[in-house]
Amino acid sequence: MSKPTHPWNSGQHHGLNRRELAGLALGAGALAITSGGRDAFAQAGGSLNLAMIGEPQTLDPMASTADLPSLIMMHVYESLYTFDAKLNARPMLAVDMPKVSADGLTYEIELRKGVKLHSGRDLDVEDVIASLKRWIAMTPRGKSVGAALASMEAKGANGLTIKLKSPVPALVVHMALPSGYAAIMAKETIATPLASYVGTGPFKFQERKPDQFVVLTKFDGYSARSEAASGYAGKREAKVAELRFIPVPNANTRVEGAIAGQYHFADQLPVEAFRRIGGSGSAKPILMMPYGFPYMVTNTKQGIFANKKVRQAFQLALNETEMLAAAFGDEKFYRTTAAHFPPSSPFHSRVGENVYNKADAVGAKKLLAEAKYDGTPVRILNSKQYEFHHAMALVMAEHLKAAGFNTQLDVVDWATLVQRRADPALYEVYITHSSFYPEPMLSPPPLSPGAPGWWDTPAKNAALAAFNSESDPVKRGALWAKVQEVIYDEVPYIRVGEFAALAAGSMRLQGYVPMPMPAFWNVSLG
Amino acid sequence: MIVALGRRLAGMLVVMFIVATMVFFLTRLAPGDPAALMLGDQASIADVAHLRKTYGLDRPIYVQYALWLKEVVQGNLGNSIFLQRPVLTAIGERAEPTFFLALFSILIAAAIGVPAGIASAVWRGRVSDQAVSGGSMLAASIPSFWLGLMFIQLFAVRLGWFPVAGYGPPGASFAERLYHLILPATVLGIVNSALITRFTRASMLDVLSEDFIRTARAKGLVESVVVLRHGLGNALVPIITVVGLTAALLIGGAIVTETVFGLPGIGNLVVSAVLRRDYPVIQGALIVIAGIYVLINFTIDMIYTLVDPRVKY
Repeated sequence: MSKPTHPWNSGQHHGLNRRELAGLALGAGALAITSGGRDAFAQAGGSLNLAMIGEPQTLDPMASTADLPSLIMMHVYESLYTFDAKLNARPMLAVDMPKVSADGLTYEIELRKGVKLHSGRDLDVEDVIASLKRWIAMTPRGKSVGAALASMEAKGANGLTIKLKSPVPALVVHMALPSGYAAIMAKETIATPLASYVGTGPFKFQERKPDQFVVLTKFDGYSARSEAASGYAGKREAKVAELRFIPVPNANTRVEGAIAGQYHFADQLPVEAFRRIGGSGSAKPILMMPYGFPYMVTNTKQGIFANKKVRQAFQLALNETEMLAAAFGDEKFYRTTAAHFPPSSPFHSRVGENVYNKADAVGAKKLLAEAKYDGTPVRILNSKQYEFHHAMALVMAEHLKAAGFNTQLDVVDWATLVQRRADPALYEVYITHSSFYPEPMLSPPPLSPGAPGWWDTPAKNAALAAFNSESDPVKRGALWAKVQEVIYDEVPYIRVGEFAALAAGSMRLQGYVPMPMPAFWNVSLG
Repeated sequence: MIVALGRRLAGMLVVMFIVATMVFFLTRLAPGDPAALMLGDQASIADVAHLRKTYGLDRPIYVQYALWLKEVVQGNLGNSIFLQRPVLTAIGERAEPTFFLALFSILIAAAIGVPAGIASAVWRGRVSDQAVSGGSMLAASIPSFWLGLMFIQLFAVRLGWFPVAGYGPPGASFAERLYHLILPATVLGIVNSALITRFTRASMLDVLSEDFIRTARAKGLVESVVVLRHGLGNALVPIITVVGLTAALLIGGAIVTETVFGLPGIGNLVVSAVLRRDYPVIQGALIVIAGIYVLINFTIDMIYTLVDPRVKY
């Protein structure tokens, strides 16, 4: 887009009256401040302006399982393991994958030598043990590991031995997951709440001004791995001097800011902005597919959905294609699939295709008749704060009515939803979503005991117990298929499908690789 | 005068106590749980309950109220759950953008509204009057978020004259920070000029039909002196009232505009706090806003005595 030509740039000379002189002075003042229009706001020269969806709940990556704290702080804190581009676990601070005993109860982990903390000291195994103990004490995933932990001991300066009371096949992926994650910190900084943020990442914490920015600066002493970069794994390099995570809650402002060049990256944009960004010439759309999956948790504890046949009727009545179309519009932003994991995953299974996305009103009515459904309204708890949740709820309600359900849409803000979902007296189904995880035990929450939905049946417990006690990846794949079968039979939740995340990047942004949580090492400005 | 002032100050304290009590209970009546939001989607119910206990949210509401009120009386508004800092500090950090946004907005609104209202009254019934009336109706009808987005499109994206959003990069100079306020202040100024225009017009029409105006003209005074000195001078009280109330509203936080322009002001702080159920921040910010409102009203009442000698307390 060319810049407009202003009268004072036209080169024509003529006498100026007082009004024109005043205009000239104002214009000159503005130009002096902006130093040349939009480029002044791009903060070029080594700083990346990254528009985020809001202010992080905290900067302590263990204090919340929300994405934003981890998204920012994974540039500061590294973990023993992480994920590559295909979401396979790979070593990060560990030299290699752990040596696991035949019974799956002992893990030998060797740490990389010479890894510098931001304080300048070398990382040692005591830092790792102190960090993992904090992770076990504070986070849901850490606690699940802690329940099976027998001991955790140093073996020399760089060796760690973890002994378990019972096998935890997902231990490595638990430690690799960048959400409420097992961040390795300098042991002398460990406190609750954290007063300083000293890790080993390619960027170090500089400053936080709430609702304005979190600034991370390049860590010159960073010890990079030698393998080629892949996803979050391999070589990491800070190619810019500064990362600025800027909270911009208004999605339209994030879009316009990216197009105007004020932000080099804008996260979580409405899919309607795809064409506008692509046609702007100044920013490019970045699609991450699949990014996540919407899912609907049923209340198995209380009310009409405590009856399995009613939940099965609910499942059979749904038309997931229409729900996702209402939520995301274009087919490039969503995908329907009964499988909970992609074909490339060892957990891929097509079990459930016979009941998924059927929109079978007749079959649903039959099940409702067998369940002696009395017309009690199905309360669908959803929030407009995530517009796609509400769009899916509207379509779903119509399909449920066609199948003979009475429905009631309880539309609340997200803060209310997360409170109400803990009370089984208040809903039959609530709508939420999750980003995509490569391991069943990482998501979704309804698989955990005591989670809202309160799914706790002999079939679930048997299937999960078998799955959780098996270490062999191939056998675990088959055992997950059994868990998936129980899910489709007992309907504790419905995975609606998969959706893409849309972001925008500056045309100058180089080296950015879409991942579920955006990472900005190896990224530069051209 | 001193007795009247004392009475007013006592009344202000009572108002503040009522506001504090209402704010506390209304905030707690709204559903939502800051602990669940803090811990995220994967947290267990037990973890959420534990965090609620840590913040004292599991105590009976009257106990929470008594403890909170005791601290407020001592000038302590508590600590933010999410921002990990005292509420007063969080508000103080946001005072600058909100204050200058309000100041610029009210200056722009008054600069548009007062002359437009005067012109509309002086040329009552003519094309200029109809144009001003139509313009002010339009300004009052346009949602500020829509006007904000249109201004962003035109002046920030297409022309590149202004930043889209924010309050300047880290280390931004004072001038640079203020430059980020021009677009949002213009939007707020335009939207808020409508009410000032209407009040100025109505007030001027009343005054211009008074006998002393006819006398002034009969004395042979030039029309500008008649209108501005005798007319506007006597029409100022309602104009000052509406300008003052608009300023108070803006200092309380131009919530929508601050959100659209990503300004880290008090309005944005309140919105974030409400969405996160950060009770101490909601309560503290609303008390401060109410206090500012009460003080501005008090100041306006004092200004009446300066512009109109007939007003006495």
